Amino acid sequence: MTPSHRLAMPAPPRSRCCAALHHGLLAWALTTAMSGCTAEPRAPATEESVPNAPDGQALRPTPLPDLSDMTPAVRDQIRERYAALTAAIERADEAGPLSEAYGAMGNVLAAARYVDAPEPFYRNAQALAPGDKRWPYYLGHLYTTRGAFAEAAVAFEQALALQPDDVPTLISLGEVHLEQGRPAAAEPLLTQALALQPGSVWARIGLGRAALTRQDYRQAAEHLEEALAVDPEAADIHYPLGLAYRGLGEMERAEAHLQQRDSGTVRQPDPLMRVMRQSLESPSTYEREGIQALGNGDWDAAAAAFRRGIELAPENPSLHHRLGTTLFMMGNEREGRARFEEALRVSPEYAQAHYSLGLLLEGEGRFEEALHRFSTAVRHEPSYVEARVRVARLLRRMGRPNEALAEYDRVIAADPQGPEARFGYAMTLVLLGRYQEARERLEAGTTSYPDQAMFRKALARLLSAAPDARARDGQRALALVQELLAQERSFDLGEAMAMALAEVGQYAEAASWQREVMSMAAQAGRDDLVQSMAGNLRLYERGEPSRTPWRDDEMP
Amino acid sequence: MRIEASGARGRTCKGIDHELLAAFMTLALLPGCGADTTDGGAAGGSEGGGARTAAGDAPGTGPDNGSGWFTDVAEDAGLHFVHFNGMSGEFYFPEIMPPGVGLLDFDDDGDLDVYLVQGRLLGTGTTLDEALFPPPEASPLSGRLYRNDLTVQADGARTLRFTDVTDESGIDARGYGMGVATGDVDNDGRVDLYLTNLGPNQLFRNDGDGTFSDVSRQSGLDDPGWGVSAAFVDYDRDGWLDLYVGNYVDYAIEADQECPSETGRVGYCVPQVYRAQPDRLFRNRGDGSFVEVTASALASTTPGPALGVATADFDGDGWPDIYVANDGEENQLWMNRRDGTLVDAGLVSGTALNANGAAEGSMGVDAGDFDNDGDEDLFMTHLTTETNTLYVNDGNGMFEDRSALSGLGPPSLAATGFGTAWLDFDNDGWLDVLTVNGRVSRTEERANEPFPYDQPRQLFRNLADGRFEDVTGRAGAVFSVSEVGRGAAFGDVDNDGDIDVLIGNDSGRVRLLVNRAESTHHWLGLRLVGGAEAPRDMLGARVEVARSDGTTLWRRARADGSYGSANDPRVHVGLGDAAAVPRVRVHWPSGQVEEWNDVAIDRWTTLTEGTGR
Repeated sequence: MTPSHRLAMPAPPRSRCCAALHHGLLAWALTTAMSGCTAEPRAPATEESVPNAPDGQALRPTPLPDLSDMTPAVRDQIRERYAALTAAIERADEAGPLSEAYGAMGNVLAAARYVDAPEPFYRNAQALAPGDKRWPYYLGHLYTTRGAFAEAAVAFEQALALQPDDVPTLISLGEVHLEQGRPAAAEPLLTQALALQPGSVWARIGLGRAALTRQDYRQAAEHLEEALAVDPEAADIHYPLGLAYRGLGEMERAEAHLQQRDSGTVRQPDPLMRVMRQSLESPSTYEREGIQALGNGDWDAAAAAFRRGIELAPENPSLHHRLGTTLFMMGNEREGRARFEEALRVSPEYAQAHYSLGLLLEGEGRFEEALHRFSTAVRHEPSYVEARVRVARLLRRMGRPNEALAEYDRVIAADPQGPEARFGYAMTLVLLGRYQEARERLEAGTTSYPDQAMFRKALARLLSAAPDARARDGQRALALVQELLAQERSFDLGEAMAMALAEVGQYAEAASWQREVMSMAAQAGRDDLVQSMAGNLRLYERGEPSRTPWRDDEMP
Repeated sequence: MRIEASGARGRTCKGIDHELLAAFMTLALLPGCGADTTDGGAAGGSEGGGARTAAGDAPGTGPDNGSGWFTDVAEDAGLHFVHFNGMSGEFYFPEIMPPGVGLLDFDDDGDLDVYLVQGRLLGTGTTLDEALFPPPEASPLSGRLYRNDLTVQADGARTLRFTDVTDESGIDARGYGMGVATGDVDNDGRVDLYLTNLGPNQLFRNDGDGTFSDVSRQSGLDDPGWGVSAAFVDYDRDGWLDLYVGNYVDYAIEADQECPSETGRVGYCVPQVYRAQPDRLFRNRGDGSFVEVTASALASTTPGPALGVATADFDGDGWPDIYVANDGEENQLWMNRRDGTLVDAGLVSGTALNANGAAEGSMGVDAGDFDNDGDEDLFMTHLTTETNTLYVNDGNGMFEDRSALSGLGPPSLAATGFGTAWLDFDNDGWLDVLTVNGRVSRTEERANEPFPYDQPRQLFRNLADGRFEDVTGRAGAVFSVSEVGRGAAFGDVDNDGDIDVLIGNDSGRVRLLVNRAESTHHWLGLRLVGGAEAPRDMLGARVEVARSDGTTLWRRARADGSYGSANDPRVHVGLGDAAAVPRVRVHWPSGQVEEWNDVAIDRWTTLTEGTGR
């Protein structure tokens, strides 16, 4: 490599502030100055030092973007990459290593979510190593992000020419065609990807999408059913599959799949993109990584990610709070609590941490302290509906039902469509012995919130066992429980079934159900339940119904 | 009987586990703050190559030399208005969302007047000195009403002139304004004005003498949430306009969240950082007051952060339905059950999510029959990295996402769209689409500019085969101006038979894009009003226009749609190659259907319910 292999810089911005002022960009300079600019890595920048690719073509200028206002740890990583690139140029490295240095710099900028700045770095990397498919591949993704689909397709085709059997490239190019409404162009690529990697869920989903675009619902359903068979946990499949069945007129199946919808659960394995993403460590990256791990139930990975994020941003309350939750899920209550408290140390008004501490305190029976935490969360975030519901619920548990009703009323006024407060209100009425009103509220809930089973479950118990005869209706209770049992089996419902049977006079059956539930509870190690259910069993054996819809502390 | 051993457990520590996790998930499993910072954009300048303008720029900064189909005449016509978003560098979330704009004929003189939403300073204890873009000194920080003093010469030449009549109108709107909705709530034939705010909304009753009375409290419509788009719709068909208010998120300055990007640079948050605020449905009692019927009329659903609302009869049953565009959450399609209640059919209808099953950051929305098959299709604008979405109706209220196939999707991926509408800008008989754009998050490349959210607007022409062509480059120089576009209201402001566009820019000047496409096609202009008992614009009325070539066009009267904006309630129909209209049939919201056979073309005509055949 000749000495002319140097970065081409438009100006020598040893200091952004100075450069900006020099150019008279006062407003920009002031903004930058307020953010405290510091010197950027030195970079050679004379016009005559424009480097060349092996084919003699001049490389593109690759200015370092403005890095002011960044988290220092992030800024330092970008600077380090740039310094490494500068050093590679100054050492007059061979094309291969220099290409790597340009590509690495492109990657770190792309990982930092720059959308334009990485391009010249990738372009130079490609020019220096035209046989390396990574650089056009990254360029393809960069253009896709910008919505420049034509350029993206060209870049992916270049990558594919270098490695025709690369599945991620085939799928990426296929998706670019799908985004442009060109299913016919996408399908051969996705089919090839599937042939190379028969287990690829992503390729099957792509083929399903292509068929949907062509309104070939039968073929779409076939592809997507196959994808679901390969990965039954891939919830992304349900939505397009539901649409395929809807197109076929199979509405019941369609709705069943639509209800199971989710997105973002399927990720095409893409080692190159993973390399790009991992080229920058930032608090946000680790936070996102932790959240994803938590969603997958991988507590260890989640905790590790949040901890690393905290190392980079120790004053971030959200990271402390997330780590606290993760630790608690791992059974480490002590450190979890400490993390919630740390979140409040760095941000005393962080309502979520107050709320989480409130939950812990309530679980320990420290109701006054819990109430204080929930109330503090509400004070700092008046619109925090969950915290408000907790305040009301706790007031009920603390034997202050009238205050609870008033609080529930306030929640309902603020959030008229929310079910929790309406349910809590009804249960508080039960506590107050206002059974008929409670029944009316629960019945309204079953109509307004047909997907919220808690209303039907509570109503069934009330209809079976309310002390006020005017609130009872055994036959209706029985029908409700039978309907619920068709969807769910639980101790709670089993006992409700026994209650309903007793209320309609079928005491032997009631006792049988009660015994069965107790037996299952015993097998599950729930001796507490076995003991508490024994009372009703004795009633049924004596031919008497229950008049206790919920025992103490079991009211939902 | 089989019972799952893990089924019912008491309130144990494990129970707390789940609650903690649930609480965590509520906030955690969300897109990270600044989620669209990966958006496309151009470094070091405006996006899309447009000439950037911002608050404080000289009037008429846009390089508008009068060529192209649209020309900005706002300054020349007297609309001297600069929006103030109250930003002081703190990135308060509301700053990035307004303003809406409105077109309404408040003085009933036959031309459209203008209402412009204004903001105010945000932050406790901050002063105007701290504003990054202080408002012009002479500019009062309140919403403004401008009267249209349109003059038409004998040769047809038109001169638009607007006069600020806010002070004499009695409209006192000093809240942090978001949007506008219009409708005649008391059936007196005079359009009333509803303003959504960050804070209590306001209803101004039109007194018919050029003045308005603030009846916010008496009417019960002073909803205290963060309203953005609202729509007047007679959902129970009792003859009185009811009101749907789309609310965004629970927000308070004191609980403002800080949202750093990947690099740690602070920016505006995504709505999921806050809790969505429930929308509200208010039923008009017919006595000047409204009663909230949200809980009883709207069957259970999870609240979404609503930004756009469009009402139309999507399943053709004669009853108005309500579509709600939510930002980053599933959209809702409230289908009218004809018994005073509505049920959300968004999911099964295919309009809750895009074709991939993803919820998108929906902002503006409009319903219209773009393929001339007699049903209402939906178009909505989205964030960068998402495409705008076209949902095509099969006539029964079932939709298919044809964003990619139609060609509307790909060119929009780099833009964050807000105000939008179906409009037949060239009168060829096919509805086209216009979007006004402006980012909500910064690109890293422009992170140190004070307000780098500008993007050029876009125009797409309907090719009459289900596809659209991006004709932005031919639409006029004003389309290369890059601004932070938000609200857009559509209507024939100069009454010359084509659709003009009023645009509200966040922290920027208002624009009035006058249509000078000089189409050779004929047009039909209809104002649809009720009879003596309700002599108002009959929002929701559908018009079936039989053309001389045997084809039929369906259009509807609407003021809602777009983003926080109120449209011309009249119905504009481009007739394409047809030179006559043998029959016009109106399907009134009351259910009555009437026909006219002698409606003149190339002029605006009023059709009154009860006077047809």
